[in-house]
Amino acid sequence: MQRPTPITTEIASRRRLFSTDHKVVGLQYFFLSLAAVLVGMMLSLLMRIHIIWPKATIPLLGEIKPENYLAYLTMHGTLMIFFVLSTAPQNGFGNYFLPLQLGASEMAFPRLNMAGFWITLLSFLVLLAAFFVPGGASLAGWTQYSPLSAIASAGPGQGLGTDLWLLSIALFCLASILSAINFITTTLKLRGRGMTLMRMPLTCWTWFVTAILTLLAFSVLLSAAIMLLLDRNAGTSFFVPSGLVVSGSPVEHAGGSPLLWQHLFWFFGHPEVYIAILPGMGMTSHLLSVFSRKPVFGYKAMVGATIAIGVLGFSVWGHHMFVSGMNPYAGFAFSTLTTAIAVPSAIKTFNWLGTLWGGHFRFTVPFLFSIGFVSLFISGGLTGPMLAQPALDIYLHDTYFVVAHFHLIMAMAGVFAIFAATYFWFPKMFGRAMNHRLGVLHFWFTLLGAYSTFMPMHLLGIAGNPRRYSELTGAQYVAALAPLHKFITLAAIITIGAQFLFLANFFWSMFKGAPAGENPWQCTTLEWRLSSPPQHGFGNNLPVVHHGPYEYGSAEWNGTAAQEDFLMQDAPANP
Amino acid sequence: MPRISEHVGIERKPKLGGGGPGKIPHRHGYGGGDDGDHGQRDDFVSPKDRLRRYRIGMAAAIVAFSTFFIGMAVSYLLRLGVTQWNPDLQKSVRDSHPLALPYLRLFINSLVLIMSSVTLDLARRGLLAKSEFSVMGIAPPKFKTEVPWLGITVILGFAFLIGQLLVWNIFRHQGIYLSSGTRSGFFYMLTGAHAAHLAGGLLVLLWASLSNFMRTRFESRQIAVEVTAWYWHFMGVLWILIFGLLHFSRG
Amino acid sequence: MINRSPDHPTIRSSDSSLLIFLSLLLITIVTVYLFAVHPWWFPAGVSSSSAGIDHQFVAALRVLGALFIAGQFLLGLVLLRSPSRKNRSSRGSWPLEITWTVLIACIFFWFNLAGNRLWSEIKLHLPEEDALQVEVTGTQFQWYFRYPGNDGKFGHTNPQRFARPEEGNPLGIDPDDPDGKDDIVSTSLVLPAGQDVDLILRANDVIHGLFIPAMRFKQDTVPGMTTHAHFKPLQAGSYEIACSQLCGLGHYRMRALIQVLTTIEFKQWLNSRHASGS
Ligand code: HEA
Ligand code: HEA
Ligand code: CUA
Ligand SMILES: [Cu+2]
Repeated sequence: MQRPTPITTEIASRRRLFSTDHKVVGLQYFFLSLAAVLVGMMLSLLMRIHIIWPKATIPLLGEIKPENYLAYLTMHGTLMIFFVLSTAPQNGFGNYFLPLQLGASEMAFPRLNMAGFWITLLSFLVLLAAFFVPGGASLAGWTQYSPLSAIASAGPGQGLGTDLWLLSIALFCLASILSAINFITTTLKLRGRGMTLMRMPLTCWTWFVTAILTLLAFSVLLSAAIMLLLDRNAGTSFFVPSGLVVSGSPVEHAGGSPLLWQHLFWFFGHPEVYIAILPGMGMTSHLLSVFSRKPVFGYKAMVGATIAIGVLGFSVWGHHMFVSGMNPYAGFAFSTLTTAIAVPSAIKTFNWLGTLWGGHFRFTVPFLFSIGFVSLFISGGLTGPMLAQPALDIYLHDTYFVVAHFHLIMAMAGVFAIFAATYFWFPKMFGRAMNHRLGVLHFWFTLLGAYSTFMPMHLLGIAGNPRRYSELTGAQYVAALAPLHKFITLAAIITIGAQFLFLANFFWSMFKGAPAGENPWQCTTLEWRLSSPPQHGFGNNLPVVHHGPYEYGSAEWNGTAAQEDFLMQDAPANP
Repeated sequence: MPRISEHVGIERKPKLGGGGPGKIPHRHGYGGGDDGDHGQRDDFVSPKDRLRRYRIGMAAAIVAFSTFFIGMAVSYLLRLGVTQWNPDLQKSVRDSHPLALPYLRLFINSLVLIMSSVTLDLARRGLLAKSEFSVMGIAPPKFKTEVPWLGITVILGFAFLIGQLLVWNIFRHQGIYLSSGTRSGFFYMLTGAHAAHLAGGLLVLLWASLSNFMRTRFESRQIAVEVTAWYWHFMGVLWILIFGLLHFSRG
Repeated sequence: MINRSPDHPTIRSSDSSLLIFLSLLLITIVTVYLFAVHPWWFPAGVSSSSAGIDHQFVAALRVLGALFIAGQFLLGLVLLRSPSRKNRSSRGSWPLEITWTVLIACIFFWFNLAGNRLWSEIKLHLPEEDALQVEVTGTQFQWYFRYPGNDGKFGHTNPQRFARPEEGNPLGIDPDDPDGKDDIVSTSLVLPAGQDVDLILRANDVIHGLFIPAMRFKQDTVPGMTTHAHFKPLQAGSYEIACSQLCGLGHYRMRALIQVLTTIEFKQWLNSRHASGS
């Protein structure tokens, strides 16, 4: 090496906790997300246990009361949507790999990036702190419908717990916006030479579009959260109507509109679910191509579908409000637009199948998880057009049918994408490979576990079981569903148990895994140019891109290196 | 090592494939960097590149701020349309607290803000002109009769904030608070959020004018002023829009 | 066919693809079995809109179920297919893209249209002339149903001033309003069969959701808003009402009964309530 000094300082700066290195920030986000998913997973375990054994005593926690159940539910939803699915795929993997895949050595604003992480961490801690304040965490669900969320006397967690929830979300919005600005600028300005937009890997495309969605959606949520905080603490009445009597005492507020909160929340909330899944879609497209050793089928159609989903995503929020008391005429518009957004999603599915068609498969663990993603996406997605029909949603709204829909398409598909990305990039991030056998075992348990947990929930919903019921003892027809609930709980316990296979594999491989080379999967994209883990970005060897990101299958070019079936993006143009 | 060649071509043009043949459009802004004077890397980024990058970042940020304020403004309009049953009057009523705006003060404040936008732009241009020198590697000259436009902007900015405080004070004396009605609530919230954003910009300007005396790199200062000018003009336009909204909805 | 990649154990791809194909098949078969045999399903629908909704649901289920089966099956199938040299260089095809886009759009919009027609039948029609008016109020965690009484008029309410659940006035009916004297407040919804009922939905504290599975009826009750919704019960019997919108810790037990009586029985019930009420 010619100049050792900058590298040593670089390594020193990587070791620092408050690092501005995008790789460190990416890993920090990743581990934050891992912590959040573990908490969220344990909460779902407690919820499932409480539903079928309401009187069970849990070690350390004692008996779970209905309000505890709702607090767990709120925290489960919030952690999973915000701190897992909006954090790991975008800010975790995105921070680490966006610059590298684009051929840059850093994000555009490294310090902003670092600030984003620390604000997110603060937001996470504020959220968890709600468990320890009087009354406990908020019990109004991740949607925090007003007036339940606006009036402190409406329930045990609706005091300080809800203030902390709102504060946490406001901080999260801020951090997400900072991070989105960074992603957008990086994609627009820091691409390496020759990296045209249409030569970006699809992962970069989805990170980019997701960043734009984040920018718009989270700023609206931020303003809504501020208004709700003011309603709660400054006596304004944005969302609280007049004439209420809560817990026997009159409420002072006058004239606010509960539906206004719902409109603002879902204007954010629907784009948010695409924020949660778009990076996963990008990773799936990427991995299917890599492990089929075949170019992505319909690259441009994929880019177009991503953009279409992003644009349409802002026009469908009302499908969450068909029975809210919204004008029934709005139902037609939202229903039609929602149906329209299902079309680009379907296009993606078809293109994934097209990518797989006739491929030379390498059945690695990330490939398995990507296949699982497609399967879960189809299963969960197809209930979408059903829910999008207001006439059917009358019955299905707020039942377990919806819970089944979003756990399959969002929770499980999203988590599968995270798993695929983790198994795929682990060698690059830690320089070692994860154990293949354990990974395969983990895949099978999780796939079958996910289906057995969430498929039966459709039937609960069809039988009319409402969501967010802490016990089945209320209505008799719900009590009759107990056997199915029991099955779901057992399936969930097994699924959750199987996650320890992943954790064990992850931490064991971090220290003991077989050393991975520079490019163990034989990929074309630029991050695989670097050593594993990358020490110094690209340094002075800035890559120049000559090829598209999916040059697999040797028929495509006039044989350079005959034994290889892929062409690095920065391989010389015309040898 | 990849060979560097300017003209890249793949012979057959793939129909939908991963990117077609292309020129190399991004001569600028590759290779990472840092947004400060510290930790300067060996992969040096030119000030022009940094400026472009910051401009894009600021443009994105402005989109976010706009959405934030549009969210509030739309809420305001929707909220004004809400009617609710009043059991004492036995009829549906709309929030009927009109808001008498202290126009004189508000006009003065607007004027101050517009002036600050002008002075900031003068400061920006001054620095831009100087930056030409620094690009050429010459130390920027010090002119004798240099008007401290940046300092004036900071003072005007503070004047605007104080003016807003006075407006709130007028309302406070009239007994109009955040919770006194829809219009007052949104008045405080919109002007408050605007003032808070403006204060943020002011901090940057303050830093830029003070850093004149510190050993900060000239380009950093220039970039800070350049993008803050965008931001400041945006806050100015936003203020006019908010003022208009408040005026036309005053009841 | 064995693929060797340098850093990974040898994977026999034909075994893996068969395994995946079979398990996707298993998942599909079990799912289809569940939905076909449906050990848990809708309660029998007993309102005038039940048949339409059930029919539309089954139609949607058939179409989407077919797509589900096709999708999972194709996913398994492409994995089974032996590698092909020809397809390997394929980067896509616009004719194919356009075909499936148009195809799937037609399918989705076809039954979106059917769904919208149903929605307009349910929501855009005014209640029938002789509809019975009942006011529904959701409170934490109890439903109240108010009938206007003989005068056909509801008394004014002002919950903030008059609501005294313990004194038998949970809704805060104005004691000085003559219209309110003969109002009947019940904790179960009693209705005559075959008559349209026009519900006036309100809430006094937080949002609740009036969910009557047997009537295929659901509507949120939003505080500060009065929502109208109507349905027509067709069959006498006793059914359950649940709360579908998260309203606090007692959400799960906010249950009520709906009793559909014959017209004569309903008259008798009204009279008996009048007698006991005044
Ligand atoms: C990642 C998250 C995610 C995604 C991608 C989606 C995707 C979709 N969602 Fe979902 N949704 C949620 C997350 C998500 N949703 C969440 C979290 C909620 C609940 C929020 C709450 O209340 O808490 C929800 C709720 C929800 C509702 C409200 C239900 C209710 O509360 O009453 C509706 C209604 O329209 C809806 C519709 C849709 C539609 C039409 C799609 C479409 O985009 C789906 C498109 C996909 C497909 C259509 C599948 C494509 C596959 C094929 C077409 C098969 C191909 C066939 C062959 C190959 C032969 N969703
Ligand atoms: C990402 C989203 C996500 C995920 C993964 C899950 C996972 C699970 N969820 Fe959750 N859930 C929600 C999002 C999610 N959920 C939301 C938004 C709600 C609505 C809240 C509300 O109503 O307000 C909800 C509500 C909800 C309910 C409804 C309760 C009710 O309405 O009364 C139930 C009930 O069974 C439930 C159960 C489960 C179970 C058993 C799992 C299990 O699958 C858990 C098993 C976990 C895994 C298989 C994931 C393991 C993943 C990792 C280890 C990832 C590793 C991470 C990195 C590498 C960074 N969830
Ligand atoms: Cu009332 Cu839920
Ligand atoms: Cu949605």
